[in-house]
Amino acid sequence: MTEHFTGGCQCGAVRYRVAGPPSGVSICNCRMCQKALGNLTGPFASFKARVAWTRGAPKLFRSSDRVWRGFCANCGTPLTYQWGASGNPALTIGSFDRPDELMPTVEFARDNRHPIFLRYDSMTEEPLGTTDEERDILAILRSFQHPDQDTETWTPGGGQ
Amino acid sequence: MTERQMPEGPFSGGCQCGAIRFHALALRDNPHVCYCRMCQKATGNLFAALVGVRHEHLTWSRGVPAEFMSSEIAARGFCSNCGTSLYYRAQGGPHVSISIGAFDEPQKIALWYQLGMEGKHPSLFHLNDIEEAGTTESNESEYDIALIRKSNQQHPDHDTDVWTARPGVLR
Repeated sequence: MTEHFTGGCQCGAVRYRVAGPPSGVSICNCRMCQKALGNLTGPFASFKARVAWTRGAPKLFRSSDRVWRGFCANCGTPLTYQWGASGNPALTIGSFDRPDELMPTVEFARDNRHPIFLRYDSMTEEPLGTTDEERDILAILRSFQHPDQDTETWTPGGGQ
Repeated sequence: MTERQMPEGPFSGGCQCGAIRFHALALRDNPHVCYCRMCQKATGNLFAALVGVRHEHLTWSRGVPAEFMSSEIAARGFCSNCGTSLYYRAQGGPHVSISIGAFDEPQKIALWYQLGMEGKHPSLFHLNDIEEAGTTESNESEYDIALIRKSNQQHPDHDTDVWTARPGVLR
């Protein structure tokens, strides 16, 4: 039996499913990935099997003649990187329902690493909800994030 | 232990396509990464890397981000044209937590702490075990490198007087 991987955006308007195993799992430090995701890296998993959009589909921004990048038009989660308009997209690791199952084995553009990666362990650890007030807020918080699994029906909460 | 000091402003930044640009006069002393599952899924990433900018220090100099309320108390801002994750904002909070990668010079913003430790991705404990695969362009053909350079639609890492963002398309 082939292992399947599922995932989607934060609000759940876009969901995907793909048969494993991944053909490549990587982290890219290039400035295009950084700015496209607003982050320090672009972490992606690619597959030989075709990615199926089981709910909705990403909006695409063509960042150069070769590359398209997909995201959820409703909540903004960056979802894909693909070569060519019809290329099989690589998927952002954080958008998978179980991101811990995808371990990057390759790193691109290390020359553009954010300096924190040279001394990652210098960061101190802070628990979420340090004060009583923060813990109270976390206790009553109603999240509009889609659960980390497929759902039969789903109406994205939140919105603009 | 080196003394922690925030870099002096002002700072600029924006999304990949350049439809959204911002200015920050000063940064709060809280640059951090958050591994919680909400930040991971909102950004499609292993963490959100954020730094606070007080409302009175923040100007949206071009365009306005779209927002998704990820819970009753928090909103996530992004560019509705190209999808760049731009911020996390708690309702009624004193600042907007801006994505460090969206700044024009992210390398100037050192990170001080990490939180949401329960969600720290296992690869981040073994960063240097990941195979190094060369510079940005070393894996692509000269033809593709030339084409990408010529057709690059990413806004430059500085303010521009005039800019037309290539429109994103809904499939």
